[in-house]
Amino acid sequence: MARKDSKLTLAQKEQRTAYRLLIPALVILAAVAFYPLFEVFYTSFTNRVFASGTDEAPDFIGIENYKSLLGLTIQEMPPVIDTETGQPQTDASGKAVYERAVRVLPRTPVRYREWFQFSFFGKRYVVGARDPEFMKAIWNTLVFTVVSVFLETILGLGVALVVNSNFKGRGVMRATMLVPWAVITVVSARIWEWMLQPTRAGLFNMVLNRLGLGDGSLSFLSSPALQMPTLIAVDVWKTTPFMALLLLAGLQLIPRELYEAGRVDGASKFRQFFSITLPLLKPTLAVALIFRTLDALRAFDVFQVLMGNRMYSMATYNYYQLIGNRNMGLASAIGVIIFIFIAVFAVIYMRFMGVDKE
Amino acid sequence: MRKLLLTLMVVLVALVAFSQIVLTVAAGAVGQELELTKQAAEAYMSIHPDITVKVLDTPDMVQDRLGLYLQFLEAKSPEIDVYQVDVIWPGDLAQHFIDFYEYNADKVVSMHFPAIVENNTVDGKLVAIPWFTDAGLLYYRTDLLEKYGLKPPTTWDELENAAKIIQEGERKTNPDFWGFVWQGNAYEGLTCDALEWLASNDAGTIISPDKKITIANANAIEILEKVAGWIGTISPSGVLTFAEEDARAVWQTGNAAFMRNWPYCYSLSKGPDSNVAGKFDVSPLPAGKSGNGAATLGGWQLSVSKYSKNPKEAADLALFMAGYEIQKLRAVEGSMNPTIQALYADYEVIKANPFFGSLFDVFINAVARPSTATAPRYNEVSTLFFKAVHRILSGTSDAQNVLEELALDLQDITGFEIVWGF
Repeated sequence: MARKDSKLTLAQKEQRTAYRLLIPALVILAAVAFYPLFEVFYTSFTNRVFASGTDEAPDFIGIENYKSLLGLTIQEMPPVIDTETGQPQTDASGKAVYERAVRVLPRTPVRYREWFQFSFFGKRYVVGARDPEFMKAIWNTLVFTVVSVFLETILGLGVALVVNSNFKGRGVMRATMLVPWAVITVVSARIWEWMLQPTRAGLFNMVLNRLGLGDGSLSFLSSPALQMPTLIAVDVWKTTPFMALLLLAGLQLIPRELYEAGRVDGASKFRQFFSITLPLLKPTLAVALIFRTLDALRAFDVFQVLMGNRMYSMATYNYYQLIGNRNMGLASAIGVIIFIFIAVFAVIYMRFMGVDKE
Repeated sequence: MRKLLLTLMVVLVALVAFSQIVLTVAAGAVGQELELTKQAAEAYMSIHPDITVKVLDTPDMVQDRLGLYLQFLEAKSPEIDVYQVDVIWPGDLAQHFIDFYEYNADKVVSMHFPAIVENNTVDGKLVAIPWFTDAGLLYYRTDLLEKYGLKPPTTWDELENAAKIIQEGERKTNPDFWGFVWQGNAYEGLTCDALEWLASNDAGTIISPDKKITIANANAIEILEKVAGWIGTISPSGVLTFAEEDARAVWQTGNAAFMRNWPYCYSLSKGPDSNVAGKFDVSPLPAGKSGNGAATLGGWQLSVSKYSKNPKEAADLALFMAGYEIQKLRAVEGSMNPTIQALYADYEVIKANPFFGSLFDVFINAVARPSTATAPRYNEVSTLFFKAVHRILSGTSDAQNVLEELALDLQDITGFEIVWGF
């Protein structure tokens, strides 16, 4: 052994030591990250039942869970033919009447349910999904992520620029700015729920009604047109401070001299922002965007508290399948799909923003 | 001397060991529930000084509470000894609970309503002891009916009409006034409310006791479309986010003419901080096509976890809490319907809740949700049902499509035959 070692160069020896020192970290990582992850992957291929109360092993069912979550079909909807005239029926406004989607979509060997309909070249089609609620959950999550992260970045950058400048009470400002982010989401979502009440007992209905908007009974949390904007507003309120904090750290890394040089060269504030601030902020911005995007993709608390069973994100749909329906196998498959979504977004960001090169 | 010391030490050790029995009860917190459960726990502790009873506050929404329980049960956690269990759960959760017959329940079981005992018996085991029962009631404002010269409604049409008249009149002075409030959020409570609409309109009970899917029928479409028409007219559009306590909040501030709710609201509505005290009464829910109103059977039981470290003591506690004295206390203080028949003849109980006597028929004829026929998948069935109803009520989908889809979905889950009614 000693002989073998002596043949190694110093660098190789150090490398070996380094590997040995890494072992504890790897073991811990394997125990707390890889093992649970593997469990979820494995469970997603079974029909395991949550809290079944028995010790029987669940059956291995291959990719059946994934098929039942992601299965899609498109069917043309035939117009309803009037039995008397032999002509296609029309409704009162002269639009063609089509066969109902539930009759058009296949029922065997597996059932497809209506997701949405669209018209194309004068024909009517219906898109059926084996699990339209999961499809809607994916769509909701993506809309929520893109819009809320976009707004948070713009507003966060604005806030960061303000608190980065010199003014009296800057320290206090920086501390108070963080309050929304520091409050536990479940708690703040409850507070929002109170303010968003559908009667004038709720703050928003009261204020809007005084301003002559709405009838004092706007239902922010159940009317389809208001649900998503409300969720996004709550999330923007909550997470803009976090964005601002990250960006503030980035702003403080930019050397003052660059701005001085810029001023000497006669660059306007506007020019300084786009030629100095923004390029130098890019790495921080990328990290902040990744954090927020990945966080938003697995949004749970805001959706769960404010929407319950009325509207799902991917994570709350997962919870509903696991706890409500006790489908642990299916819920694990949803977990894996969320994981894949997050991985895809992470890779896109890294490529696009060039994070790995920095 | 040494002997004495030794004995003392033994006694002391024994005392410490005994005093270490801690029992945790997972209980509801709707209205005065939590407070009354804590009172019962204290009463038990004063009789059994060696036992400490802790009361754990659980979520108001039935779905959320089930979720919490399942997490404890999946982990086989001994942390909770006694669970407050909904009338629809014994079939779903039976395998996690002890059999009360093994802990002397046979002596008390005959006091309770036989129907509830039967509901709580799974494969001959009494997995839950009845605690209180519930049935949907119509709360109405006696002062406003009198003011507008109306009678308590006996049909949905009459209710709709009365609600419109009163709302129109009251809006002149109170812009926040609504005709009728109920539970429209997408949760188990909507299943209860919707079952009442269906049953009162000859539209069945979603899945019949002989395991046939009966939800896809014309009477169901008719009544659900009627209810959808209430939203934004006699009921606030926000009713689609209301659970029991949200409806009570509107009612108790005096901002509603009618409310559908459970009996627990009775004692709170006549309480000192209520704006409707002395101005309201309760009646059976209105009728639809069938000519008879229907009330959904609700109610809660107590179960002891198989994973409890002290099942004997926990069972004793559960039987005490479901016993005569505590049920009487809860009936008098909280207007919660006893499951012990003799209490309906108790003077103090009837004095506090005259409707226990006058509406006795409503309570014993309440319509059960199809939990027995669909066990252990009732929760899944109910969730599909209330989501379907919620979609119809929010006006995003056509009732016939939704019910047809629902029937097929229910068939996927249960494998039962569908009886098409349109």
